[in-house]
Amino acid sequence: MTLPTQTLARLLLAPLLVLAAGMLVKGYTDVGDGFAAGLLAAVGFVLQDVAFGQRRAESLLPVRWAYRLALGGLGLALAVAVAPMLAGEPVLKHRPEPGVSPVKVGTLELITPVLFDVGVCLLVLGTVVTGLHLFAHPGEEEEQRS
Amino acid sequence: MPSTISLRTSLGLTRQTERIPPRFDGLLALAAAVIVFAALLASWLTGGFTIDLPWAPSLDLRLAFTLDGLGALYALLASGVGIAVFAYSIRYLPLHLEHMKRPLRDGRSFYALLVLFMVSMIGLATAQDLMVIFVCFDLTAVCSYFLIGFDRSEAEARWAALMALVVTGATAVLLLLAAVLLYAELGTFSVPELAARAQPGPTLTVAGVLIAVAALAKSAQVPFHFWLRRAMVAPTPISAYLHSAAMVAAGVLVLGRLYPLLAPTQAVLDGLVVVGFASALVGGTLSLAEDRLKPILAYSTVSQYGYVVALYGLGGAAGATAAAFYVLMHGVAKSALFLTAGAVIEAAGGEDSLRRLGGLWRSMPVLAGASLVAVAAIAALPLTLGFFADELFFKAALARGPILTVVAVAVATLTFVYMFRFWSRLFLGPARAEGTPLAPGLVVPPALLALVLLVGGVAVGPFEQLAEAAGRSSIGAPAPVEAAYHLDLRATNLLALGTFALGGVGLWLEPRLRPALEAVGGLGARLGPERLYTYGLRGLNRLSDRVHDVEVRDLRSRVAAVLLPGAGLLLLGALVTPWEGRYRVGAMSLDDLGLVAGLLGAAAAAVATTRPKEHLGLALTLSGTGFALAAVYALLGAPDVALVAVLVEITLSLLFFVTLARLPAGVLRREAGLRLPLGRRVRDTLFATVAGLSAFFVVWSVTSTPKPSNPVAPELIARTDDAHAKDVVTAILADFRALDTLGEITVLAAGLVALTTLLRLRSA
Repeated sequence: MTLPTQTLARLLLAPLLVLAAGMLVKGYTDVGDGFAAGLLAAVGFVLQDVAFGQRRAESLLPVRWAYRLALGGLGLALAVAVAPMLAGEPVLKHRPEPGVSPVKVGTLELITPVLFDVGVCLLVLGTVVTGLHLFAHPGEEEEQRS
Repeated sequence: MPSTISLRTSLGLTRQTERIPPRFDGLLALAAAVIVFAALLASWLTGGFTIDLPWAPSLDLRLAFTLDGLGALYALLASGVGIAVFAYSIRYLPLHLEHMKRPLRDGRSFYALLVLFMVSMIGLATAQDLMVIFVCFDLTAVCSYFLIGFDRSEAEARWAALMALVVTGATAVLLLLAAVLLYAELGTFSVPELAARAQPGPTLTVAGVLIAVAALAKSAQVPFHFWLRRAMVAPTPISAYLHSAAMVAAGVLVLGRLYPLLAPTQAVLDGLVVVGFASALVGGTLSLAEDRLKPILAYSTVSQYGYVVALYGLGGAAGATAAAFYVLMHGVAKSALFLTAGAVIEAAGGEDSLRRLGGLWRSMPVLAGASLVAVAAIAALPLTLGFFADELFFKAALARGPILTVVAVAVATLTFVYMFRFWSRLFLGPARAEGTPLAPGLVVPPALLALVLLVGGVAVGPFEQLAEAAGRSSIGAPAPVEAAYHLDLRATNLLALGTFALGGVGLWLEPRLRPALEAVGGLGARLGPERLYTYGLRGLNRLSDRVHDVEVRDLRSRVAAVLLPGAGLLLLGALVTPWEGRYRVGAMSLDDLGLVAGLLGAAAAAVATTRPKEHLGLALTLSGTGFALAAVYALLGAPDVALVAVLVEITLSLLFFVTLARLPAGVLRREAGLRLPLGRRVRDTLFATVAGLSAFFVVWSVTSTPKPSNPVAPELIARTDDAHAKDVVTAILADFRALDTLGEITVLAAGLVALTTLLRLRSA
């Protein structure tokens, strides 16, 4: 790839990740949600792939965790969904209750749906990254292992 | 199996008596079995227990378990034989794993599955709800799949495991079907309530037949008996457990549990009698024709459960109680014999052919004695528990007239012959194979089981009471039997004596009839129902391949084939719906100029996609369409949708670029230079035009009618504050409709897992 593309890709990575994190934090007060945040972070990664090729891009970021990240995201969302059942409440009941004002860190409100959103974000990010990796190198991990 | 044998022979099995430290997993499983057995026994002696928890109240599903007579009998049998089998495995499994060149830690899954099997069997024994029965029934099938296929490197073991799963799992669906039928008619899944409400009628007949078929397949009755013979490739402890006292017992257990639903229909009971006696005869004959130890026992199991099924069919209190008694006796005796067979095969270095074994009593006297007791019990000799079992069997047959009595004697004679043939060929006569001395761990468990049979032969009281209680659970009324020695010439005694005499003659005749028997066995193997299974499975495989081909190879033309008629239908629908109020061209204000510009841009981008020849240009124009549409969303006042649309578009474009960058440039150039044949171009254009037109008219029609007011939207907006949110869309996605989101992301994750698995498979 050309130098401008590479420079742009490298320059954009950090802002994209920050933007994704911001979108996650602000999801409840502004446009955007976990799905969009996950995609945004994934775009940052795919951009590296386009600019530098897979090997460089994957040495830059821990790809082998992406699969676990995705399943972990699903696990987190499931946990948020199931946890209220342990207390005998309906699935996915959010905490704190309506009317109770939540703890705030800046604009981030510490409420359970945000945690759910984080799970969605991780799943989307992990899925895109893993999919990209697999399409280029199916079975690479197996080869390395054997 | 053959490769196992050769492996064992080549290893020479010299480490037989060497001390291998017992592993923790086996001891843990053994402890679990002992504790469960003790707890069940204590509970049973103090009146049993009942657990009743709501499961899905709206469907009237309850997790209902009761330790009644029937439940106690099967649960005690499963955990009691479990103790013997687990204790045996502690000694046996390390040897087996060594022969298979597998690490010792593989024993963990072995014990885990066995314990899970025991638990599901106990659950099945005590379950009082049809759905719970079905779940436990299937759990045993799934466990048996993994257990039979424990030696997963052997193709034969995998084939046998699949066969057991397909035969017992596919027929288990019939049980579910019966449950749903009964629920629709009687409005409950609870077995006691069903028993109280059941009225003879077509529903009950159909349900009864379905239940019976599921149970018969599980108990390896004719014509499903072939799976049990194949399942003998499993390691011996598994055969000893699953194929004597547990898995195959599950079928007759269901018959006993659901007996009140079967009994009103005489035809079902008659069917059970026919299938039972047919299985007893076929199993007995095939057992006599076999030469290898475990298959002999497998066919013997088919035959013995034939007795039980026939007893349920003969019906009444005597039948149900006798059946329960028979299961108890047979479970103990047959597992002792399986354990014996396993020990003998180990000692003889993998030799498992009766023809090449013999005279083993010299090297293993205790085992010879223990298995003699077990053989005598199944052959119904006095002083063992088996004598009473046959006494009850004859009594039930006598009550139904001379024909069945003759059949019963024939079956019992057959049993006598094949059982003593098995034992005498194995332990008597000249020593034909080297027998190394056995480790106590392989001898004590079968000896203990034999001891139970002997104790039962002298003091039958507790066993009789258990069987009576089990009969009472089946019938719903007291079901007394009289199991005792009578030193007089009553009919059952005469029949027993006649059986022994005929059996003696049979033993003398058997070597002379050997060629004929083997011919029958060969004929059974060639023409038996197993062929149907094989053909069926092959046909299913071919069908699946065809569907796969159609899906994968011809998908593109199929899409077109769906698109064109679909679009045509839509178009037709749009044209024939009343035109009034539709297809209006509304007024346009200046504010809408931006929107129109965006839409025009999208349309222009769509038209532009037909132009580019090279791939990169095509990808770019495609994403141009997407971006134009995203702009339209933004102008419509849906920023969340626009944001996601932009992000999806960016990701897809980047993925296109990545893919294109990885393809060889030469290939891309050649592909771009290709010209489609004229026919294809005309066809594609036609399809695209029709599909586009239909979409155009449908959208026009929809947008020109007044929007139905959405009563949910204001509510959702009002509630957003309660959700501590300011962005309604996020609140909907992550809170109000989070369950939908959860479903969607689960699908996404499933797709990821499938993708990962498939792409890794391809390279492997």
